[in-house]
Amino acid sequence: MKLAVALAHRFPGFTLDVEIESAGPALGLFGASGSGKTTLLHAIAGLLRPDRGRIALDERVLFSRPGGVAIPPERRRLALVTQDPLLFPNRSVRGNLGYAPGAPARLESDAGRRILDVLRLAPLLGRDVAHLSGGERQRVAIGRALLADPTLLLLDEPTSALDAELSRDVLGLLLRVKTELEVPMLFVTHRAAELLALADDCVVLEAGRVAARGRPVEVLQRPRALGVASLVGVDNLLRLPVEGHDEAGGVTLLGLGGGLALAAPYCGSAVGTAVDVGFYADEVLVSLDAPRGLSARNALPCEVTAVDALGHEVLVGLRAGETTLRARITPAAARELGLARGQRAIAIVKTAAIHRLDRVE
Amino acid sequence: MSAPDAEAAIVLLSIRVAALAVAASLVPGVALGWLLARWTHPLRALVQGLVMLPLVLPPVVTGYLLLHVFGRSRPGGQLWHAITGSHVAYTTTACVIAAAVVGFPLLVEAIRLSVSGVDRRLEDVSRSLGRGPLDTFFRVTLPLSLPGVASGAVLAFARALGEFGATIVLAGNVAGETRTIPVAVYTLLNVRGGEAAATRLVVASVVLSLAALLVSFWLSARRPRA
Repeated sequence: MKLAVALAHRFPGFTLDVEIESAGPALGLFGASGSGKTTLLHAIAGLLRPDRGRIALDERVLFSRPGGVAIPPERRRLALVTQDPLLFPNRSVRGNLGYAPGAPARLESDAGRRILDVLRLAPLLGRDVAHLSGGERQRVAIGRALLADPTLLLLDEPTSALDAELSRDVLGLLLRVKTELEVPMLFVTHRAAELLALADDCVVLEAGRVAARGRPVEVLQRPRALGVASLVGVDNLLRLPVEGHDEAGGVTLLGLGGGLALAAPYCGSAVGTAVDVGFYADEVLVSLDAPRGLSARNALPCEVTAVDALGHEVLVGLRAGETTLRARITPAAARELGLARGQRAIAIVKTAAIHRLDRVE
Repeated sequence: MSAPDAEAAIVLLSIRVAALAVAASLVPGVALGWLLARWTHPLRALVQGLVMLPLVLPPVVTGYLLLHVFGRSRPGGQLWHAITGSHVAYTTTACVIAAAVVGFPLLVEAIRLSVSGVDRRLEDVSRSLGRGPLDTFFRVTLPLSLPGVASGAVLAFARALGEFGATIVLAGNVAGETRTIPVAVYTLLNVRGGEAAATRLVVASVVLSLAALLVSFWLSARRPRA
């Protein structure tokens, strides 16, 4: 895939002015809400006509003004998946999957069966969409888009409406869509971990302009320079050296400094090499006493370095060895634990919650 | 014809007129309802006002205006004569036109509300999946608006059954041709000994209208999630 976008559009109080070129195959649009990423996605989809600009995909000009080209959305072959799955309520799961022109036949083909297989849709075929769970609805929406046989899949925050566990599941499915079905994608997200896991290339938008672009790991590791620290800051993104492996135990130990190690899912990287891992701040539990009989592999003694109340959540900074972790807890939990700076605490992280970010294969 | 048979014929004529009026209104009603729900042009308010006018105008005034369009020497009436070879005024056709015009605002308003309730993002997704605007309308917008279309049609049918003012002006009071229930009741009340027949028609009218309203309520309660 080769996408080239240059466009400008003025709304009352907001101007989008961006230039993007990417060879994909997965391009991430990263930014806070209101940064213009959904607007940009809609312009590419053809649902919004920018004041001026040019959009080309694989040598095919989709939009040009001046130039008088504005291919309507239905002829762009870009299937859209939104945060809200937006299934057609008057159709069954099969009816939704077979919605696009040619989709009913594709559904019966080998390619279609592969899509159903990857997204685990076969058991849902006969169901009524009203009786699907949130995760199932999003899987159907992704399948419906793939069955339209798009040249580029457009995903607008596809996991944002789901809880942490379902988000991980859908993210895993999108990875398989990318690597096994080899469908190029452009996705919008405000989650750094998602960007790192899925994107080969990324563009950071800020107030309607491109603030940074490049490989996600590189872009996000310099967050202060990019002004996206507030977005990245809530999650844990770490580059840590491999200290050892326990293959049978399914664990690779990553050094945190100060003699502490983080037990991450097993990976084959050589001892001494640095790997990038990430996990959501929600996945870090804070305990005052060392827990016993715990299944989580990581119970790291640390010092509380920050307790920041942000609305209905509290971000806790925890220094383990020479590494700072972030935990997101409720104000009630922070009150009950009496968390304060300088206090000793235990940070608990499940190994399975830790994602390898730099190489997803 | 015995008396109850005559009244049955009147009831049947009324039902036929109302049904034809609704049938003739459906396509333009859906088109206008959709337009008023989705169009954002400044002229929209004017169009909506014109559509709603028969709801607030005295029906006799509506009939008078219609007579000016469909009278024998008027353009509408002459056009109709050129196409069908017959005149409009004082025929069942006139009854149907009068009933359609007064029921039209109810139909359009129900469809407008129903179309407004359809999530536009569903239409966006449909477009991005390769379905053009017309295809999207028939596959997404219209099916999801159908309960509103149906309940609007039933309301318009009920309104058409009770139409009197515009009918008496445009269609007159021709037995077997334009004498619908309201016109017949009015006539019977002016005839000595007509009360019994009038009462039977009144009962029929109440039963029919109530049934139509109940069907309309039932249909709007079945609105699918959009």
